[in-house]
Amino acid sequence: MAGHADWHWRGRRFGIDPRCLADPAAGRPAVLGAWAHVCASPDPEARVLFDATEVQQARRDALAWWFARLGDDLVCLSTLSLDASHYGGAITVARTPDAFADDPFARIFPGTIERTDAFAAVLPPPGPVLERYSGAPWPAGSFAPA
Amino acid sequence: MPPSSLTPGKRFPDLDLPDHEGRPRRLADLPGGDPLVLCFSRGWWCPKEQRFLRALVELQSEFEVAYARIVVVSVDEPGVQAAFRAGLGARFLFLSDAERRWLGPLELEETTDTTHAPYQPYVFSLRPDLSIHAAYAGYWSFGRPTLEELRTDMRAISRDIRPDWEL
Repeated sequence: MAGHADWHWRGRRFGIDPRCLADPAAGRPAVLGAWAHVCASPDPEARVLFDATEVQQARRDALAWWFARLGDDLVCLSTLSLDASHYGGAITVARTPDAFADDPFARIFPGTIERTDAFAAVLPPPGPVLERYSGAPWPAGSFAPA
Repeated sequence: MPPSSLTPGKRFPDLDLPDHEGRPRRLADLPGGDPLVLCFSRGWWCPKEQRFLRALVELQSEFEVAYARIVVVSVDEPGVQAAFRAGLGARFLFLSDAERRWLGPLELEETTDTTHAPYQPYVFSLRPDLSIHAAYAGYWSFGRPTLEELRTDMRAISRDIRPDWEL
């Protein structure tokens, strides 16, 4: 599987962890009636470097407590890439929206809550790796030989 | 000495255990192509484990940018591990063998502790395919790897598995 897939939201195209997108034929059934917290802006100029300290810290927070805060509600999480260097936002998908007020990625771009049937369940990354693999949107990708 | 099945060059068994959130995991899924430090820990109550895991937490800020992973296995329940992990400030995974399913098969029982029946504190440096690069017996605290030894292990494995090591 490639390091990212395209995902469209409000006129913008983002790279997303491909494991998050439901595809029953590929063994990734959709979680129906889930809630997406999209921490991104429709402004086409809204972008931050992935290496920016606030983006690094949001990823650290995800590993330290955000996945735990979501618990069994978690469906999946992916940062949203614009290219190999730029962060356009993040999406957290959960079975309830109860924890979204605590989303660490909302510190960068405020979140919008939407109902969705488009996403599949993905386990959180084991950590502690924060760096991206060949520009893929964290936590997607790997350097393992194909 | 580690059990004969857990010596350098041998493949570590693919443990199937819940993580600190109770989610089922398989060890083989965790490296994701990166080298991995696998630490067997007695449990949260042991002062030696607290000290060693605080040291691993120091190391995580290097691992987070160096494409290497850390996994801790103990007999603590997942909820206890989650609280211990949060208290340490760890951002790596804990696996819970509260049922002690793998203690016998791995031959890592610490028989001198009849109260907790924990793991012996062994640390393994693993390649992404779970083959063992180095093993450290930590029953005596000075038997555990220093952070420098773990860095050296990760360097050796990375040099071997990264085809562009010398770009």
